Amino acid sequence: MDVPVFDSAAKYLKYNYVKWGDKKVAMRVKDRGIWQSYTWEDYYEKVKYFSLGLMSLGLERGDKVAILGENKPEWFWAELAAGTAGAVVTGIFVDCLPTEVKYYVENSESKFVIAHDQEQVDKFLIPYKDREGKEHPPLKDELPLLKKVIFWDPKGILGFEGTPIGDYADPILMSFDQVIELGKEYEKTRPGLFEENIEKTSGDDIALFMYTSGTTGLPKAAMLRNRVSQLTNRAWNSVDKWSPDDQYVSFLPPAWITEQGLGVGANLLTGMEINFPEEPETVLENIREIGPGVLFWGPANWESVSRLIQAKIIDTSPLRRLLYHVFLPVGYKVGDLRVAGKKVNWFWQALYSIANLTVFRALKDKVGLSKVRVAYSAGSAISPDIFRYFQALGVKLKQLYGSTEMGLVTIHPDDDVRPETCGPLMPGYECRLSEDGEILVRSEMLFAGYYKKPEATREKYLGDWYLSGDFGHIEEHGHLVCIDRMDHLKELRGGRKFSPQFAEIRLRFSPYIKGALIVGSEDKDFVTAIINVDIDNVGRWAEAKRIPYTTFTDLSQKPEVIGLVTGEIRKVNRHLPEWTRIKRFVNLHKEFDADDAELTRTRKLRRDFIEERYGYLIDALYGDKDELKVEAPITYRDGRTGTMMTSVKINAVE
Amino acid sequence: MAQDEVKLKAENIGLYFGQLRALDGVDIEVRGTEILAVIGPNGAGKSCLLNCINGFYRPQQGDIYFDGKRITRLAPHKIAELGISRTFQNIELYTGLTVLDNLMAARHIHMKQGALAGAIYFGPAYREEIEHRKVVEDIIDFLEMEPIRKKVVGLLPYGMRKRVELGRALALEPKLLLLDEPMAGMNIDEKEDMARFIIDTIELRRIPIVLIEHDMEVVMDIADRVVVLDFGHKIAEGSPDEIKGNPAVIKAYLGE
Repeated sequence: MDVPVFDSAAKYLKYNYVKWGDKKVAMRVKDRGIWQSYTWEDYYEKVKYFSLGLMSLGLERGDKVAILGENKPEWFWAELAAGTAGAVVTGIFVDCLPTEVKYYVENSESKFVIAHDQEQVDKFLIPYKDREGKEHPPLKDELPLLKKVIFWDPKGILGFEGTPIGDYADPILMSFDQVIELGKEYEKTRPGLFEENIEKTSGDDIALFMYTSGTTGLPKAAMLRNRVSQLTNRAWNSVDKWSPDDQYVSFLPPAWITEQGLGVGANLLTGMEINFPEEPETVLENIREIGPGVLFWGPANWESVSRLIQAKIIDTSPLRRLLYHVFLPVGYKVGDLRVAGKKVNWFWQALYSIANLTVFRALKDKVGLSKVRVAYSAGSAISPDIFRYFQALGVKLKQLYGSTEMGLVTIHPDDDVRPETCGPLMPGYECRLSEDGEILVRSEMLFAGYYKKPEATREKYLGDWYLSGDFGHIEEHGHLVCIDRMDHLKELRGGRKFSPQFAEIRLRFSPYIKGALIVGSEDKDFVTAIINVDIDNVGRWAEAKRIPYTTFTDLSQKPEVIGLVTGEIRKVNRHLPEWTRIKRFVNLHKEFDADDAELTRTRKLRRDFIEERYGYLIDALYGDKDELKVEAPITYRDGRTGTMMTSVKINAVE
Repeated sequence: MAQDEVKLKAENIGLYFGQLRALDGVDIEVRGTEILAVIGPNGAGKSCLLNCINGFYRPQQGDIYFDGKRITRLAPHKIAELGISRTFQNIELYTGLTVLDNLMAARHIHMKQGALAGAIYFGPAYREEIEHRKVVEDIIDFLEMEPIRKKVVGLLPYGMRKRVELGRALALEPKLLLLDEPMAGMNIDEKEDMARFIIDTIELRRIPIVLIEHDMEVVMDIADRVVVLDFGHKIAEGSPDEIKGNPAVIKAYLGE
């Protein structure tokens, strides 16, 4: 790659402007049903005049600017504009309540807020209630440092012929276009100021405050230097080689570090074209229209897309369905070879080409994956089945590991992708494990500390090693495996740590297990599990095996089903360290149910509640009986309650 | 445009179905930039009044003037061309067409190219379609219908269809909008959205609105003036606050 090394985003912007001008599209946004383009010249000029406009309103070097909006070009323009003026940018998530917005603006000491639309602007103009229900005056009266709230979508704010409607005549409000006009005026008396400012940006300057939630206390602002962002982007690009011809759809929140790298960063570094969806609800549709080359989804998105494909297969014509089932094994075979970095011989290659032409290509097109070159998943573990499935279709899905504070620590190279790991270390990173198994990281590319919280920063370091807070290990081939957050770990007798979630997630990867609760604590010698079998899949399995059953309870306690679940647990046990293996389990006689308050409405386990409710089952798991009579209270959908008598079997796994 | 300029005036309207007096000597006025709510118990004659205004019914008595022009005996499509558009209590859309096509179809009164030019789809007809599409896209943006732009109307949830119907009414670029129970059967979120769109219609597009609505909370929130009908008679008229305290209204709703 022949792009020179710069130490700030602004310098890349200028370089691209000189190189491409109005010859190449930098970004697109879908508006009024049409993809509207902005060239590098447009990008540069918007940034230039917005930056000068902010300065004319009193923005100074070292000031803070908060941006509160959905993914739109204006977000990126405002970020670069503030950065070029020497200000620090912080992003606020659009669904934040006024109380939260207040915290971010106050904590970051932002002088300006760049807000998306009426909805966001209202947060500053309308009196609000905090979590305790206490009435507050509008935010604009509670934030003395705040000079202006600048909005870019005037709908509902500016009325007929551009005059502000009602309360929106407030002097604290100003439109994005007005600021740009101010910038144009400002330039007349100060020609060359913007260009000087670009040169003044330095790698040592703090560019971004990225708020990290942490597990305790209020969010903290991790400070990132210009240089760190640019180095990280270059290192990332050295692995994945984004190109000026790649398309990218920006839908991850830019207040999140990943979008700063893949969106803002990759676009500036390589000229990769950024496309902004019309509305958050149209993201999938817009992805299909654009056909991105680079795509980042969380594991849940990958899962839902795989389910979508399977639903489409069920609905399709018998011939196509047949082709799919004939060629999918070919996909699996070739996909497995590829991720292992092995050579695919001509025979399989030829077969795969046919499979691709007849089935995979059309399938991928339907969900917008037809042109994906590099696909990422991160955040939590992805099911190996989903992973293999997309590899089979020819989507080169890979995982990465990093955080706001650490940057990008590991990533899979194309020829060595393993579903259970996060990949080998990036150049410039060192990694070791603490005695407790915590991942420690050392690098130039770490954050510059938390804003105004030196103690919190110190707590995150052991000497010059950064404490990731993640529990994991390094495999012999150098791949990092991240298992869980340290705080989520539990201890067995003797202080040996284990991760209930790690095992639970992997148990859920089995089609026969819908939910699982892993039990174990300081007064226990081993780990046990309460399993919620998947009635649909196990039921189908039982029918195929000609095992008669009546109810969920009956099915779950069939010896054959217990054998099936035992097998699934053994598979998971193989990936677990010796002392954390599941020794005994019970198939719960009912499903974990949100109506019984065992799950949250988002289907997360309410661990403490279940452990208390099924205390008698847990006692039995650590007792010596192999069967237990239970009387279970149940809540019906209409709110009535009843009880159920049954017996459950306690099973051992060798 | 003067704030209090009278846009629509209906004088002494009487509508009879045999011996049944659906409307009996009703007068209303709609001013330039106001939301006028028409309320009343079931069978009070609210929808009949709207139907008289847009020409579905011909009142036996009285006259209706729009922008100073008498429209009492005009056919509904003529009245639509003059700039009165409406939505219906029971949604009336092309359920087999997409949202976009429904809105484009509403543009027909503004289309100048003939069927032949449209069939050849060249030059003027092509340019005209782009112009109309722009108007329609503005409405899609205005009503936040981007995610459903290409969805078939019949597959949309009820609340969304109501929104599409408002969009279709707006696509006519009306000078007066008649909304017949735009929020009936909606949940709270949908009602709030619809209320905001109605207010925005006045504030951003300066289109006066006659609104029939049963949800009193909404009416009192968004209406500038309220007219109350009962058994075909106008029993009260005034600001929402005046109406709330009016004994005749309370009697009509709650009985003696």
